[in-house]
Amino acid sequence: APVAKMAALRGGGAPWRRGWLPALQLVRHGSKAVTRHWKAMHFQRQKLMAVTEYMAPRPAIPPCCLAPKKEKVEEDNGYARLLRRQVEEAFRDNRMIAVCQYNSMPGEDMVLMRHYLRKHNIEVKFVLNEIIRPMLSQSKYKNLLPLFVARNILLVSPETKVKEMLRVLKGVPQINLLGACIDNTILSRQGVENFAKLPSLEAAQGQTVGALALLPSQTSSLLQGGSAHLTALLDEHIRRLQAGETGSPDESAPAQSSG
Amino acid sequence: YWKFLSGADALQEGPGGVTVPRAGLKKYVLPPDYSGITFPERTKLKFMDKVPAVPKVRREPRQLRDIRGPSREATDFTQGQYGILALGGGYLHWGHFEMIRLTIGRSMDPKTMFAIWRVPAPYKPVTRKSLGHRMGGGKGPIDHYVTAVKSGRLVVEVGGRCEFEEVKPFLTQVARKLPFPAIPISRDGLEQMRQKEEEKRLNNQNPWTFERIVTANMLGMRKYLSPYDLQLKGRYWGKFFLKHRL
Repeated sequence: APVAKMAALRGGGAPWRRGWLPALQLVRHGSKAVTRHWKAMHFQRQKLMAVTEYMAPRPAIPPCCLAPKKEKVEEDNGYARLLRRQVEEAFRDNRMIAVCQYNSMPGEDMVLMRHYLRKHNIEVKFVLNEIIRPMLSQSKYKNLLPLFVARNILLVSPETKVKEMLRVLKGVPQINLLGACIDNTILSRQGVENFAKLPSLEAAQGQTVGALALLPSQTSSLLQGGSAHLTALLDEHIRRLQAGETGSPDESAPAQSSG
Repeated sequence: YWKFLSGADALQEGPGGVTVPRAGLKKYVLPPDYSGITFPERTKLKFMDKVPAVPKVRREPRQLRDIRGPSREATDFTQGQYGILALGGGYLHWGHFEMIRLTIGRSMDPKTMFAIWRVPAPYKPVTRKSLGHRMGGGKGPIDHYVTAVKSGRLVVEVGGRCEFEEVKPFLTQVARKLPFPAIPISRDGLEQMRQKEEEKRLNNQNPWTFERIVTANMLGMRKYLSPYDLQLKGRYWGKFFLKHRL
């Protein structure tokens, strides 16, 4: 820097060129290319840097105005598939499926309840709503959908022992019966209670047979009425005669009465 | 098996009424796979000498061009998964090396992680004249040795059975103390950075780029620019790396 100043004062060398400003020319002999501080850029270079800045692309339609984002469908979990298969099997194999609301119970009560139900061959299954709901909506059990809202359990059994089940559930206040699907018929809570009050299958069959056999039995009794009456009278007569033998035997009386 | 998605108690009382909690299926995330990782013999960082084994006799000129511009070596990961990337040029002296070695040695677990140097020990002699003397009298004696680091170079690499979030805190701590701007970065992060740069370069709406103007010497710009700007292309200025350019 002092060299250039000296040259300016002397009047020779670089300073004789027109448009020489000390600020511009002194920079030439100033700092090196690599400095610890941020070296001041020549104005032309500053302009060049400003001109060649990055300009981000702007789409004609802003992306928020375009089609809404489709929600990503999550991949099927192997575990979810297993649970779904288990539920399908339960629905297929069992005749009676009861849906109950499950409130948290003490552990030992739960074990006892399961034990009692197991005795009647009723199994307790825990199901997750997020698995059951899509399954039911696609199968024929659509009307069971409103039952699967909060925490619930399924009581499944191949036989229909509703009375015993209701008795066990009455002793457990935390489990409330919501509905049931017995032999592919959807029943509400009232329906289940009515179903329990029905007599068993054998008794019902016996009743039907009895009702059907009522008319023929009446007919047969009418037809056999005359001969039955005769037989009864004869028996009465024999009895009287046998009773009269001890007093005075009378052999002609039966011959007269038979005529 | 049960996982409450909302709150801790069974019923949530709110202004909209009582909400029933929903329990969802717990989705188990598989643990990360660390199968392809080989540990070096020494997991901790090697001690770096202040002075090389054969100290230099001849005093070297300053040669600041070893700070300027992008780095040509140690730009990619070799053994480790995470590292410190230098975003500017500078000199690392023995104090920096000790700080890095001790901080990383203190914060990492030598059984599950390893760390390696990606910069050599100080080799470049730096001279200093004694204090209080006027100019002149020859070049001063060698004061200490430094390593030159250019922008885009990895300083240390860390790897092993660990995640980026575990390693990031102490790497940022180290990166802040370095004489040049630096950031902790993983392999994915580096790839993403390069991809973004590429994308920016491709979708730049400005038809005028520094490179184009300099190579064609439009408007006689090369009068005000250095001949090195042909390679540096406006992204480097001195030892600084201008991240937001292009």
